[in-house]
Amino acid sequence: MPAYRNVRLCGKDCMCLYVCPTGATNTENSIIDTAKCIPGCMACVNACPSGAISMIPDEYPPQQPKSPEVVTEQRALGRSKVQQEEIAAAVAATTDSAVTRQFAEALAKSNLRMAEDILRESGYLLPQSAEARELLTAMLENTAPDFPTDAVERLLNQLHKTPDQN
Amino acid sequence: MRRFECSVCGYIYDEAVGLPEKGLAPGTKWEDLPEDFVCPLCSAPKTVFKPLGETAAPQPAIKRNNPVVNGDRAHGDIRDLSAGEIAAICSSLAKGCEKQRLIEEMEAYSALADYFKTKGMAQGVTLADTAVMLNEDIAKGFAAAKAAAQADGDRGALRSLIWSEKVSIMLQSLLDRFANEGDDMLSNTKIFVCDICGFIMLGGAAPEICPVCKVPQYKIVEIERR
Ligand code: SF4
Ligand code: SF4
Ligand SMILES: [Zn+2]
Ligand SMILES: [Zn+2]
Repeated sequence: MPAYRNVRLCGKDCMCLYVCPTGATNTENSIIDTAKCIPGCMACVNACPSGAISMIPDEYPPQQPKSPEVVTEQRALGRSKVQQEEIAAAVAATTDSAVTRQFAEALAKSNLRMAEDILRESGYLLPQSAEARELLTAMLENTAPDFPTDAVERLLNQLHKTPDQN
Repeated sequence: MRRFECSVCGYIYDEAVGLPEKGLAPGTKWEDLPEDFVCPLCSAPKTVFKPLGETAAPQPAIKRNNPVVNGDRAHGDIRDLSAGEIAAICSSLAKGCEKQRLIEEMEAYSALADYFKTKGMAQGVTLADTAVMLNEDIAKGFAAAKAAAQADGDRGALRSLIWSEKVSIMLQSLLDRFANEGDDMLSNTKIFVCDICGFIMLGGAAPEICPVCKVPQYKIVEIERR
């Protein structure tokens, strides 16, 4: 469980530099050195006057299960938003008008943000959840030459499982 | 004297108070507001305001005709998901990795999102096609989804629906205007999108916070004309 500093909240050059027993907080790029950080120490978290440091958990609890009705409805709405995004993106790519393109790009982005949020709440809350792993595993069947199989394998190997999956 | 609430951001226009900074004296009746009156907080049009006091009739939970309910959809059956849907799931999971500071994993999910996104291009379509789907979402989709989330006490799903319904209402009003005004709608204004909830706002500058999801200004991006 290493510490993480939110640079946006940090007031710079103060308490965490003094309390850290290993110098992990004292880096040029403001990113706490996880190799030096002592798991569970928390000294900098407690000392920071700006609430800028938190501990990143190594393990996440399993996702709250979603009811089949919620999954069905979120998926249906998510699908609609994705289709609207695709239409807006196609209009943006083909229109001759710079103004229409601008509006269509805004619509595409807006619909993608909604789709991400709605589909996330259809059961893809955590990158390491059983649901996400099943999706990744199913992707391994894809044998298209341009498919980034290495990305899928990296995710399946590197993402720690949530405790319900062992 | 009556009061009207913006259904996007919750701003209340009170006839007794008016909106003096916009030249609307106290006592200005709702009917007497100009047609191009917009919400002073989120710039949504007059049409999305609802009179207060009248409680909205409860929306019946309409079941959608869903063409893709086959199979056990709770478990990531990839054959049930379009390329675009997988792209959206992967880009959302990439953000989840970013929040956990899993940078390599974020990049891997982003690579998958890019791959699936290139597979989903629509052909021969216009913005009017999105308006039809959007109207259907607003007329039925949100009510059905909110009923399901409420029945299960699923606060996360409900939160996503409340945000995206407000964003959808704003998009609907913009698409309606665009259908009438065309490119003139944007001739004297910038356009901003909230990078968290997708809210779209026209105006001279991004708001201090997003009227829908309340993130600060630095998460609200301007879409440039190019
Ligand atoms: S948790 Fe302890 S070791 Fe790690 S950075 Fe903070 S003070 Fe240093
Ligand atoms: S104690 Fe907090 S505010 Fe001070 S330098 Fe460390 S992270 Fe920044
Ligand atoms: Zn408003
Ligand atoms: Zn927002």
